[in-house]
Amino acid sequence: MTTPTDLRPGTKECGCPDDTGGMSRRAFLAGATATGALAGLTSVGLSTRLAFASAPYTGDVLVVLSLRGGMDGLNVVVPHGDNDYLTQRPTIGIPTNALLNLDGMFGLHPAMVKLMPWWNDGRLGFVHAVGQDSPSRSHFDAMAEMERAAPGSGLRTGWLDRTLGLRAPGTAFQGCQIGSGMPADMFTGPSPELAMWSVDDFQLSGADNSAERARWSAALSALHDGAPHSLTAPVTTTMDALATTDALKTAGYVPDITDPNLAYPDTDLGKALTDVARLIKAGPQVGLQVAAVDYGDWDMHADMGLGNQPDTGWLPDHLAEFSGALAAFATDLGSKLADVTVITLTEFGRRVEENGSNGVDHGHGQAVLLLGGGVHGGHVHGVWPTLAPGALDDGDLKATTDYRALLAEILEKRCGASGVSQVFPGLGTERLGVVAQRT
Amino acid sequence: MAVRSRRELLRTAGALAVVGAGAGVPQVLATTSAAAATSKPGPLVATDPDLHLLRRLTFGPTPQSVAELKRMGRKKWLDHQLAPATIDDSACTDLIATRYPQTLLTIPQARAAIDAFSWDLMFQVGQATISRATWSKRQLFEVMVDFWSNHLNVTNPSDGVWDSRHHYDRVVIRKHALGRFEDMLVASATHPAMLAYLNNNESTKDAPNENYGRELLELHSVGVDGGYNEKDMYQSALIMTGFGTDYDTGQFLYSAEDHYTGPVKVMGFRRPNPTGSGGYDVGLAYVRYLANHPSTAQRIATKLCQRFVSDVPPPRLVKHLADVYLAHGTAIAPVLRELIGSASFLNSTGKKVRRPFEDLVATLRVLGYKPDASGTQGMQGLYWMSGDLGQTPLSWPQPNGYPDEASSWQSAGGVLARWNSHLSLAAHWWPSTLRQPELLTLLPTKLPATYGAFVDALASRLVFRHLTLAHRHAVLTFLDRSASDPVDSQITGWRLPYLVALILDTPYHALR
Repeated sequence: MTTPTDLRPGTKECGCPDDTGGMSRRAFLAGATATGALAGLTSVGLSTRLAFASAPYTGDVLVVLSLRGGMDGLNVVVPHGDNDYLTQRPTIGIPTNALLNLDGMFGLHPAMVKLMPWWNDGRLGFVHAVGQDSPSRSHFDAMAEMERAAPGSGLRTGWLDRTLGLRAPGTAFQGCQIGSGMPADMFTGPSPELAMWSVDDFQLSGADNSAERARWSAALSALHDGAPHSLTAPVTTTMDALATTDALKTAGYVPDITDPNLAYPDTDLGKALTDVARLIKAGPQVGLQVAAVDYGDWDMHADMGLGNQPDTGWLPDHLAEFSGALAAFATDLGSKLADVTVITLTEFGRRVEENGSNGVDHGHGQAVLLLGGGVHGGHVHGVWPTLAPGALDDGDLKATTDYRALLAEILEKRCGASGVSQVFPGLGTERLGVVAQRT
Repeated sequence: MAVRSRRELLRTAGALAVVGAGAGVPQVLATTSAAAATSKPGPLVATDPDLHLLRRLTFGPTPQSVAELKRMGRKKWLDHQLAPATIDDSACTDLIATRYPQTLLTIPQARAAIDAFSWDLMFQVGQATISRATWSKRQLFEVMVDFWSNHLNVTNPSDGVWDSRHHYDRVVIRKHALGRFEDMLVASATHPAMLAYLNNNESTKDAPNENYGRELLELHSVGVDGGYNEKDMYQSALIMTGFGTDYDTGQFLYSAEDHYTGPVKVMGFRRPNPTGSGGYDVGLAYVRYLANHPSTAQRIATKLCQRFVSDVPPPRLVKHLADVYLAHGTAIAPVLRELIGSASFLNSTGKKVRRPFEDLVATLRVLGYKPDASGTQGMQGLYWMSGDLGQTPLSWPQPNGYPDEASSWQSAGGVLARWNSHLSLAAHWWPSTLRQPELLTLLPTKLPATYGAFVDALASRLVFRHLTLAHRHAVLTFLDRSASDPVDSQITGWRLPYLVALILDTPYHALR
C-alpha cells in the first residue's frame, strides 16, 4: 500500500509537498512571536461573552491519542506467557528476558521503560484484546468507524462531538485537536471544536504585536456589528480564543520537569503534549475538557525491528518517542494528573503471524494504554483470548473488549456523563473496571 | 445534500415560467437592469438582485461576471448557465486536460497508469475540483457539481476507490449535474466507486451487505422519514445484490449468480424477481422508482432550498419545487428555474453563509488569481489550504456529504484559518506560484485622492458595494486616518494587503 502515513488528507503528515517557492504553509501559520495581552482583544461591537467564562464541567480532562496506522499491540504489551507468541513471531518476537515484566503473563516493550514509574505507582494500565464491533482491515474504514463509534446505527457524527453535545456550552477550548489544522473525525458534527497546530501558532496573521492585535481586534469587532448571529457567534468565539492564546503566550510556558532525562522530546508529539499540559494547567480560564492528538506512522508492514535487537528499529524508535513524550507529560502535570485520563486508540491491531518482511500486516485486536490519576493501573485489563490457532479471528488476535466500553466507562466515572447511550448507541452496560469513580 | 434530477421535461406545459413572458415572469428575472451595486452606503446585506444571483449561483462575483450579467440580463444569463455547453469554457477545459490529464482516464487506463492503491489520482481530482470552481465559466454547473458530489458522496480520497473516483466524478456527477436525477442515480448505482464505497461489491444473496441498500434509501433518495421501514431496507439490499465490480478490471459487473431471487417489495415497488439474469433490470427499475418517489422529490427540493435559499427552507417553496421535479420527470433545470424565480429566493439575501471552500474560491476569484504558469504546485497549495480551512472539497468522511447550514461551521479555528487565508492570498505569501495581479490593479488607474475614497473604491471592487458608514469608519480607524486625509504610501504600499484582507474578513464577503 502506498497510502500516506497519516491517512487524513490535508494534515502535515500526509506526505504532501510544502510549497517550496515561498513561505511554507506551516511557516505562514506560525507567524511571528506574539506578546500581546488580553486587554487589547476585548470585543467592541460583538455580543459580550467572557473569554474565560467556564462551563460548569468538573470532570477529568480526557486526552485521546490516536495512533494512526494500526499499532502492533502484541509487540508493545507482549503476551510472553502465551506459548504461541514466539512461535508465530520467530523473528520479530521479543524474548521474555528483554521485556519489562508487568505481571508474568505480559511484558512491556523495553523501549517504554520511561513509563514504568507510573505503572509501578498504579497510574498506568493497559487493556488487551480490544477491538471494534464490525472490524475492517482498511485503514480508512476502520478509522472512520472507530471515530464514528456507532456501528449499526445511521449516526453521522463522531463520538467526541456527541460527548460534547451532552455538556453545557464551554469555552472555545472545550474540545481541542492539538497538532493539526483539521479536527479528527471524532469531532464531526454540530458541537464546535478547535483545531490548532499549537498554542503559539494560533494567532491572527499580521497581528504580531500588541498594538497590531488591538488594531485588528477593534476593526474586526466593529466590522461584524450588525451581522447575522451565524457570523457573529463564531467570530466572538474566535476573538475569545485569540485573547486566551495571547494571554498564554504572554505568560509563557516552562514545563515543570527538573530531570532532563524526562524532558519532552523535540518532536511534533512532544510539542503537542506540551501544549495539552499547558492548556490543562491554565485551568478553567481555558476550559479544556477534551484534547485529541495524533501520533501516526504505525503501519509497520516491513522492517519493524528484530526481536533479538529490541532497542533499535522502527518500532523501538517509535515507542521510545511515544513513551518519552507521555512520561514528560505525566511529569509535567504533576498533581494535575489526578484530573486527567489519557487513552490511546488505534484503528486495528496487527496480524499475529509475522510476514516475510520482518513486519506485520493489518489485523484486529489491539492493546490500549490508559494513564491518569483515576486509572486502575499496574494491571493489564481485559480477557485474554490466547494466541492458539483455534482462538484466532481469521489469523488475528480476537477482540474480547469493545473499545467503546472503555470510553463509556471513562465518560461515566471520570467525566460525569449520564447519557452514554446517546454517545454509543446500542452499547451494553458491561464495564471492565479500568478507572475509579471520580469523587 | 440534495439530489438532483431532471428529465427531459417539458411534458407539462406552462411550468417553465422562468423565461416566459407576461404575468408568469418571476420577479428576480423580470428586469434586466442591474442596480448600481456600489453606489451608496446602506444596510449590511446588499439586496441588488444581480449580486444576489451571483453570490448564490456562482462561486463568487467578479467584476467580469457582474459586467457580463449586466450586459446579458438575468434571464439570458441563466439560460446560458443552465445550458453549460453553450458557454465557451475552453481555457478551463484545457487547464484540466494539461495539468490533470489523468483525471480524464478510464478506469482500466488509470489502473495501468498509476501505482495500485495510490491516492495520487484522488488528490488530483480534489485539486481539479478547486481549479474548476475557481476558473470555469460554467459556474452554476460547478455549483451543482458540488451539490451532487455531496448528495451522492463518495469520500475523496478513500480506500477502495483509488482507481475509480475520478471516473465517478466525470460520468456520474458531471455528466448528469444539470440533467435528470433519475439518470444520475442509475449511473451511481452502476458505478464501481459507489458500489465499492458502500460495500455493495461484497453483497451477495448468501451474505447481503446492507450498507448501500440502506444509504440508497436514507441518503440518496427518499430520506430517513421517507416512508420505508427496516424490512424495506433489508429488501433494498437484496434487490441490489449482484451489482458489483469486476475484480480484474475494476469496472462495473453485474453478477447474476450473486443476485437474490424471489419476490421483493420496498414501499410501493414490487417485483417477482424470479431469476438472477433478470435481476439487473429489477435493480434498475427499483432505482428509477426511488428517483421518482414523492419523498425523493421532497427531499431534493428541501436540499436545493438549503443550498440556494436559506438554512430553514420555506415549506411552500419546497412543496412547489417537489411538484415541478415530479412533473418534469426528475429534471433538475426546471426545478432550478422555479427556485431562482421565486420570491423566497429573491428575498433571501443575507440568509446563507459561505462555507470555507466557498470562501476560499470567492477570494481567489475576486482577487483575480490565475493558475500556475505551469505545473500544479500552487493548485496543490490551495488543496492543502482548503484542508486548513476545514473543507477539502469532496473529502467529507461520511456518506452524507458536507453539511450546508451555518451551524455546522462555527469553529473558532475555522474562522481564524479563513482570516489568515485572506491575508496569505492578498499578500501573495502562499501559494506563491499562483499568478496574482498587483494589488493596486484592484483600484482605478487614477487612484482616489483621499483615504475615504480609496476605501470606498476598494470595497466596491472586493465586495461590490460601499461599506456602511460605521464600518467605513472602523476601516479608517484601522488605518489611523480620517476620510479626508490624502492617500499616501501606507495605503498604497505596505498596508494594502492587510487592508484587502480586512475587507475580505467582513460579513460582506462571508455571506453567500
